[in-house]
Amino acid sequence: MMTILNVIFDGLFAAIAGIGFGAISDPPLRAFKMIAILSALGHACRYCLMHFLGFDIATASLFGAIAIGFGSMWFGKKVYCPLTVLYIPALLPMIPGKFAYNMVFSLLMSLQTVKEPGMLNKYMEAFFSNTLVTCTVVFMLAIGATLPILLFPKITFSITRHKNKF
Amino acid sequence: MDIFWKTIALYNSGTWIYQLIILLIGCTVTVALIIKPTRWTKWAIKFYILLLYLWISIIYYYIYCDARNYNGIMALFWGVMAIIWIWDMISGYTTFERTRKYDKLSYFLLVMPFCYPLISLARGLSFPEMTSPVMPCSVVTFTIGLLLLHSKKVNIFLVLFLCHWSLIGLTKTYFFHIPEDFLLASASIPALYLFFREYFLSNLKTETKPKVKYINWLLILVCGILGIVLISTLLLELGPVK
Amino acid sequence: MTTDDSFNSVCDFIAEYAAHLMGVGVHTSRVVRNSKRIGEAFGVKVQMCAFYNNIMISITDDETHEIYNKVIGISSHSISFEHNSELSALSWEIYDYHLPLNTIKEKYRKIVEAPRIHPLFVLLLVGFANASFCRLFDGDGISMAIVFSATLIGLYLKQQMLAKHINSFIVFIVSAFVASLAASVSLIFKDTTSSTAIATSVLYLVPGVPLINGMIDIVEGHVLIGFSRLTEAALLIMCIAIGLSFTLIMVKNSLI
Repeated sequence: MMTILNVIFDGLFAAIAGIGFGAISDPPLRAFKMIAILSALGHACRYCLMHFLGFDIATASLFGAIAIGFGSMWFGKKVYCPLTVLYIPALLPMIPGKFAYNMVFSLLMSLQTVKEPGMLNKYMEAFFSNTLVTCTVVFMLAIGATLPILLFPKITFSITRHKNKF
Repeated sequence: MDIFWKTIALYNSGTWIYQLIILLIGCTVTVALIIKPTRWTKWAIKFYILLLYLWISIIYYYIYCDARNYNGIMALFWGVMAIIWIWDMISGYTTFERTRKYDKLSYFLLVMPFCYPLISLARGLSFPEMTSPVMPCSVVTFTIGLLLLHSKKVNIFLVLFLCHWSLIGLTKTYFFHIPEDFLLASASIPALYLFFREYFLSNLKTETKPKVKYINWLLILVCGILGIVLISTLLLELGPVK
Repeated sequence: MTTDDSFNSVCDFIAEYAAHLMGVGVHTSRVVRNSKRIGEAFGVKVQMCAFYNNIMISITDDETHEIYNKVIGISSHSISFEHNSELSALSWEIYDYHLPLNTIKEKYRKIVEAPRIHPLFVLLLVGFANASFCRLFDGDGISMAIVFSATLIGLYLKQQMLAKHINSFIVFIVSAFVASLAASVSLIFKDTTSSTAIATSVLYLVPGVPLINGMIDIVEGHVLIGFSRLTEAALLIMCIAIGLSFTLIMVKNSLI
């Protein structure tokens, strides 16, 4: 019961985050609902993969992003919005902020401890691992969500067409 | 916790005479501004607030609160607010024009700094270990009251800082047991709502995206959530004392 | 040409349309495709080459073999997904119904001049977003509240500074610094997750649109502009890091 509740809360907060980050980029009002659903879906997907199936954060993010990408293809047709309008805000809640923060922090600390080799090594290691995770996850997010554009260019480019010829 | 009240005692016993002078000047300038809003009184009140913020930043936080952790951050925070006032004096942004819409609430807020020590006394505290009118939280209530009285054109950035402060005050009541700060938190929520509505949502001529109605609802929602947090903290505080 | 409108006026419109789309943050292949589609509706062939600040456009009339050339600057608008989707829909409308140029221009102006999303609405929504972001990184209630109000401060500052046309790198540094400073006040409470609060308070600045657009552009073969966009995004992220580290230097001892 607790686990289901955790997943739901995870999705809920991701949805709020998605709406907010979407609002910065001035989306059409009809897109907000879809952004919320997509970001909840993607983040909950990643949460489940990481907590129940033991995936690492990069792989889980890739699958979450793929889910968002294909979801935005489906929802985009309903509200006549290009894919990027829906999936960029939906991806943002998955950005590994904690790792990015640790990256900045350990960089700063390694600069401060240049003269103490033991501390320096520790912080350099932390910097390297955090940078690795941050960059990989961001790359995976972009690749995963772009997949539908690469696979189905015809469909994704006629998504804002109101008249259905085919 | 002990350190918290000890620094306050140190501050009060060390500076009570200066506090009295600041208080007297403050009353004079404020009354002068309310009775006769000329260019000079407006300039004087800005200058007074600037000095007051610098006082809080340097004398209160940097010197007397040295024993507390992170007093430097607090000093910097108030320093930033003082910089906002310097910017305001140069650009003449805040015009101190009356709207007379929210007079009752603002007069109530202006009197509040004097209520702080009274509540402390009523709680059974005694000088010098008690709150005084020249302390961060009472200064914030004073500024909010003054700005609300002249709400035609206010510096929203400063208001956001003040509200951030009162949010911290609310949390502080929970951690350090200073029920006086409920005054601040409960006053700043309606003030926040009024400031935002006045600034963003009055005299809108063209259509907006989304409709004004929805923006207003969102604003009310934010204030409502803050209110719920306030009440629940109050209940926790008034509950069984550990 | 398949209409009575003059060749030049049609080409001018296509150039303006393409430059506007690039400005509001649309990935390059969509801009190219939309412009070609409009050209096709008028019976002209559009070829273009996009850079970060300019577009070179060359339009050929299939019948008269007249050629129109223009280098048009991309004035940096702020990102707008609304313009992205409405203008894309407009291009399909032109293609499907062969509208006359006057009607098209009317519709175009209506879309471009429609009000942007209200700043207060953005402010409050982003505040909530960052607060729930803090929750996603296991922050507690107090951290969430502090992040909410720190975000309001930082974002309001960003909006005001951008409206005054201050250099965007400076805007990012200053707003990251102010937001993280406001969040670092949470350090005075011992039990809260203050490092999470500081970490999330600057995340509203992350330039997601140039980051992902740059990636799409590179994958689709527009490598140059893709890298320009990624460079922009990387610089902005660096600015966030600089602003954040100003705060971190001051409080670092308590975060180790």
